[in-house]
Amino acid sequence: MTNSPTGAIALNTFREAVRDRVLYLLMFFALAWISSARVVALMTVGSEAKIVKDLGLAAIELVGVLIAVLIGVGLVFKEIEKRTVHVLLARPIHRWQFLLGKYLGLAAVVSLNTLVMTACLHLLLATHGEADFSLLPAIGLLWIEQLVMISVALLFSSFSSPILSSVFTLSVFVMGHLSWSLRLLERRMTTTAGRLLCETLYWLLPNLERLNLKAEAVHRVPIPSVQIVLAAAYGIAWSVLLVALAAAVFSRRDFT
Amino acid sequence: MIETPLSAATAPPARSASAHAALRLHGIRKSFRSHLWLRPRVVLDGLSLSVTAGTIHGLLGPNGAGKTTALRILLGLLRPDAGTAEIAGRPSTDPEARRSLGFLPENPYFYDYLTAREFLDLSARLAGVPPRDRRERTGQLISAVGMEGRDDIPLRRCSKGMVQRVGMAQALIGDPEVLVLDEPMSGLDPVGRREFRDLILARRRAGRTVFFSSHILQDAEMICDRVSILEGGRLAVEGDLASLLSGEVRFWEVTVTGCDPAALREEWEPIATVPGETVGRVRRQEDLDRLLRKVSAMGGSVRAVVPCRETLEDLFLRQISRKGDA
Amino acid sequence: MRTLGTRVWGVCLVVAVAMIAVTSAKLDRGESRTDSWDLLYLPNGRYLAVASLGQRQVLADFIYLWAIQYYGHYDISNRYEHLDRIFREVITELDPRYFDPYWIGALIMTTETKDLERALALLDKGFVANPDQWLLPYLAGWECYHARRLDLAAGYFEKAIRVPGAPAVIRRAYAAMYEKKGDRAVSIAAWAAIESDPSVDERGHQIARRHLDSLRVEQDIETLQQAIARYAAKHGANPGSLEALVRDGALPSVPVDSDGRPYGYDRRTGKVAPASTHVLEAR
Repeated sequence: MTNSPTGAIALNTFREAVRDRVLYLLMFFALAWISSARVVALMTVGSEAKIVKDLGLAAIELVGVLIAVLIGVGLVFKEIEKRTVHVLLARPIHRWQFLLGKYLGLAAVVSLNTLVMTACLHLLLATHGEADFSLLPAIGLLWIEQLVMISVALLFSSFSSPILSSVFTLSVFVMGHLSWSLRLLERRMTTTAGRLLCETLYWLLPNLERLNLKAEAVHRVPIPSVQIVLAAAYGIAWSVLLVALAAAVFSRRDFT
Repeated sequence: MIETPLSAATAPPARSASAHAALRLHGIRKSFRSHLWLRPRVVLDGLSLSVTAGTIHGLLGPNGAGKTTALRILLGLLRPDAGTAEIAGRPSTDPEARRSLGFLPENPYFYDYLTAREFLDLSARLAGVPPRDRRERTGQLISAVGMEGRDDIPLRRCSKGMVQRVGMAQALIGDPEVLVLDEPMSGLDPVGRREFRDLILARRRAGRTVFFSSHILQDAEMICDRVSILEGGRLAVEGDLASLLSGEVRFWEVTVTGCDPAALREEWEPIATVPGETVGRVRRQEDLDRLLRKVSAMGGSVRAVVPCRETLEDLFLRQISRKGDA
Repeated sequence: MRTLGTRVWGVCLVVAVAMIAVTSAKLDRGESRTDSWDLLYLPNGRYLAVASLGQRQVLADFIYLWAIQYYGHYDISNRYEHLDRIFREVITELDPRYFDPYWIGALIMTTETKDLERALALLDKGFVANPDQWLLPYLAGWECYHARRLDLAAGYFEKAIRVPGAPAVIRRAYAAMYEKKGDRAVSIAAWAAIESDPSVDERGHQIARRHLDSLRVEQDIETLQQAIARYAAKHGANPGSLEALVRDGALPSVPVDSDGRPYGYDRRTGKVAPASTHVLEAR
């Protein structure tokens, strides 16, 4: 795999992230968050495990988004800015291979982080005697949500500065979690134009709530496998779309 | 002198009669617009040039003439507004066209978290060097550019000259047919410049092509077979160096001592005087002969007679001033 | 070497720190506790859910944790004003399947504010969202019992035992509640079911038997009294003995208690009493 240009770039991107202090700060922050869940849980009357699970899952989700925003938005932009991309594109590689390589490298980083955090969470839950497989489907979908978020960051990174890209990426995260309410809003709209606007906005954004099965996992509500598979496919489809868009934008670009 | 083992080992490849030009630009027009509301600024205006395989071809011109833009269009980094760019007959936008091309940009900046060796390994992978050859070639090139012993330092801690050398190494890693260099000598000390010149000459000896841009005409004069001088986005002068520069002696610089310079007024124009010596310019052969006899007769001696031929710089400045008149 | 610049900087630092300390202390004293609890004006959980960006459960956890701390502060005198809203409209709207707020909230309501209705509303809401949590109607049943609403209590206990997976032991409470209510038929059936349930332990069986015995005694006495009354109406006098009732055809046979002992009958008063050695269950 690493003999292909995509693989070589992916490996290099992974190496770049791993040698960057930011990643270690984030992972430390994530582990501190999960550990603090144990302390916070002591304050509750009732189920402590529930608090630990909730905080742990929130940590996994939000740190993944942070990685997307802090590392992902600079990914392509830095290469263009520092002109390292010139020497790379002078090689016999397609521009989409470069972009896909970047995406896969960052996906590897995010996956590693999710793995470590999941292990820590389950270790912590094991001390309560509550470590089992019930959280894994939800964590799987959270992982896919992170893949979607890094593809958003990559898209913005291919044409705008890190600051703007951060703002846009966070906005997509916020709107992605609010888009279900667009549907409700639509029903209350009185004008056709208003309804059309709501409908359009809904389709333009990834509905990240579809990847949110944290409540069901924590409360052990059985989830039909079909739903999980469909949600995962939905997320992956969005990632593919966004990376393809990024590749298209990147292909048209002039590198001065 | 630095000899890249690669180029020394391989014999010059046979050239077919119908070979495409190694690099070709035809009718290239490119303008840039810094803001949407401003008028676009034309950088290249109908540029056509052709680089023959197996030659060292210099792209010269003042800063802002469009040299870097022309190179970027050749490499597929920019798309021209009009015209075509080809590498060995293939369009420059085709990645396969770049398989046998090595590029060193101006003021290169590479991934600073990698060491020289790691970066060369990455470059080798991307260039399609087979896995079994990668290690060997990386090692060869590291010594060829004088970086042995320093290949484990992260690039962020390397000096500009070291980075430039690594840049040359990565351009050569695929043993390319065509080497494209943008201001390769910038940032190098005289030793480094000599080494790079030798590297380039070695490529030609191996039958490869080198196309480089520079605004330092002396470098070009030393090694180029052919030059294209760009000015204002257009080709001002192009041709073989040998035929462009007449080779005739334009004047001699004569250093005379031990006699009164005023007596030689007819024959020369003095240009400098230091205690005991005078340097003057003599334009014609007859004047030179007469001057030599006069000095000898006056009991002085001629210290030096230096023939000055037309340099590229002279040619270039002549072009510019002509443009300025027109 | 301390230059003037360094000295000035040092002085500024010290003065600034002192100012912060002093003003903070003064401001702290001025702020009264109740004024600063703007959190009481939390919007309804459904709106908060939108704002939580997919972190509803965590938000519910934090508000619940805050509420526990808040309701533990005995110095805040009017802290129960928004109790119902916080638990019923905020926390449980954010995370309807979060079990703890329902029963803790209900307990606070009944213990501190004696508000049975609101507590029941909360527990009902919890049971609707969590039909597998038998504890909620069970708790509701006990609260009703303590408030002397036996009819409501019985109904809740019935709900509780119908939840699949409810522990067998709560059926005793159910049976006892109907017994207290005076609904003999239901309670006998319930106690009989417990007695014959092989998964119940020996002690459970004993308890059931005791209740059954006592209930059967009651029932027998009631049947006998009714028969005596009918006899007296028919023949104008109380029967001479219980056997007379059988001869008259009023009863198929003379009932005895489960130990086989006969009932005592006083001809003069016409009252039937349990066997003298029998001890009635205290009600």
